[in-house]
Amino acid sequence: MNLTVHAPILAIAVPLLGAFALPLWGKLGRSLRDLWLLLVAAATAALVALVAVQVYTTGIQVYTLGAAWPRDTLAPGGFPIRIILAVDALGAFMGLIATLVALVGFAYAARYLAEEEGKTLALTLGTLLWAGMLGMAFTGDLFNLFVFFEVTSIAACGLVGYRTWTSRGPEAAFKTMVLYTVGGLFFLLAIALLYGEYGALNLAHLARLLRGSTVDRVALALLLGGLLMKVGAVPVHMWAPDAYGEAPAHGVVLLVANTQVSLYALFRILFTLYGGLSDPGVGWLVVGMGALTLLVASLMAVVQMDLGRLVAFGAVSQIGFMLLGVGVGLTTVASRPGYGLLALRGGIFHMLNDALAIGLLFLAVGAVERAAGGRNLGSLGGLGHNLKWTSGFFFLGALALAGIPPLNGFASKLMIYQGSFLLSPILSALAILASILLLAVFVRAFQGAFLGPRLGKPDPVPVPMLIAMGALALGVLFLGLFPDLVVRHLVTPAADALWTGREVYLQAVLGR
Amino acid sequence: MTLLTGYGFWSPLVWLAGAAGATFLALLLWSRGRRDYRRGEGELPFLSGEKAEGAHVGAGHLYWGFVEGLRPYVERLRAFHTGFLGDYVAWLVVVLALVFLIVLVGG
Repeated sequence: MNLTVHAPILAIAVPLLGAFALPLWGKLGRSLRDLWLLLVAAATAALVALVAVQVYTTGIQVYTLGAAWPRDTLAPGGFPIRIILAVDALGAFMGLIATLVALVGFAYAARYLAEEEGKTLALTLGTLLWAGMLGMAFTGDLFNLFVFFEVTSIAACGLVGYRTWTSRGPEAAFKTMVLYTVGGLFFLLAIALLYGEYGALNLAHLARLLRGSTVDRVALALLLGGLLMKVGAVPVHMWAPDAYGEAPAHGVVLLVANTQVSLYALFRILFTLYGGLSDPGVGWLVVGMGALTLLVASLMAVVQMDLGRLVAFGAVSQIGFMLLGVGVGLTTVASRPGYGLLALRGGIFHMLNDALAIGLLFLAVGAVERAAGGRNLGSLGGLGHNLKWTSGFFFLGALALAGIPPLNGFASKLMIYQGSFLLSPILSALAILASILLLAVFVRAFQGAFLGPRLGKPDPVPVPMLIAMGALALGVLFLGLFPDLVVRHLVTPAADALWTGREVYLQAVLGR
Repeated sequence: MTLLTGYGFWSPLVWLAGAAGATFLALLLWSRGRRDYRRGEGELPFLSGEKAEGAHVGAGHLYWGFVEGLRPYVERLRAFHTGFLGDYVAWLVVVLALVFLIVLVGG
């Protein structure tokens, strides 16, 4: 078997089957389960890396299920009716983010989760969520995008409500589940409309067929409504602080990555599927919701006294930065592409930076909760005396999230500030104001939780949890010191795939 | 290491050099301080009349004026975060209506 050709489907199938087999291994023994998870994680990471290397070196990777040769995308009738995976630079970039976050999350979970609290279930849901994210990133088919959207929704809700012995976790999971379901139904209705009109589900094929009719526009509105909810844009963000605040820490980092993969789906639909019908009005909608999200979430973070919810609002605010960057790109795609591309690159770069910085913060909060037995800022204090590494990691993550140089958040925010300034200085001013608010919020949280005299004796943080946080911290420093390296080799090809790569994508799938 | 944005540049190396210079300057000033200083003398901070040694300024008190200044705005936003699922879904419907308006009428 030529592994290279089959790598895209194997990258989805291995974690998917691995997740369902995990509870069986768990029945046989904990060490066997952990060994299985290690094998599945290593194999999936290697496959995703292989796909990414192929994409970045040779171009878009296409895989057709059920065809005599995986690269044969067209059925004998001359159009794509089979399930097709199409991985371009942006899809590979999202796959890498999901994989990085999943690996760190599982390393952290090794000691964070207690066996008697259903560790096997949490690991299974995490692996399933990872598989769903890879499916969303790699699929070239609108219906399978919906299927993987649902896979991630189910796994994410399971993780949010994982702590069934508390009341808040299941309540947050129920709210999230209802909203995900309503959003998913919008998505499904849009697919039904497009299928009814064109008889096609393949993204590239549909992109060629779309004419901009009323039905096309209704479908676009439904897709936008469902996806804006799933990414947590204000004012349909309200499930996000509940979910992020209640899920176990290793699960929250996966939820953040899931939000970003949903953003990817939004971008794919706006640029690749509807790219030929670019409408500045939709761009302004994304810009407006981005600006609203970053400002409202930062303001809401100011008054939070629960460290988990505080970081959760910080996470929602970062979605605003990404929406702003990509929205500016969408608004100016036709008229002023120069700074639109800059903002688009900034928005995509910020996805990676946010995954590292906010992931680090959530893991640090999990360590604090475990060590001190709570997250209420009113009762925490002086943890820095005993939890030196955790304090350092939290501080580093907070500075990166607030966009303080030379950490990674600064470089991507600078690109977003510049790109949005050229569209409207007010947008840049709002974005900078949100960053200042976040800095104040996190300085306050750091002082409250980690500085001051000892108020108690927290339990030590296990080494695997520190290693997981350390890996993210190294990423924050590396991306901060070498932003050009990442922008040149990973971000620019990903942005170009959206911007100028639409035709290349369509040709790779349709051959014409 | 320099990131060229097309409308400017960002060089972490230059920033680090500046930070090293500032640190050197701070150390220089510090070295000019009193040599007869003994650690532990006169270090007790004045915390709004709090006389107990080792009092902790909790997060609820830090930036008090800043938080109170923003509170009127935040409270209005907080009123939207009711925690009721029906309200969450209602907002989703409102956003969908807005999106429809922009996509159908705007387009």
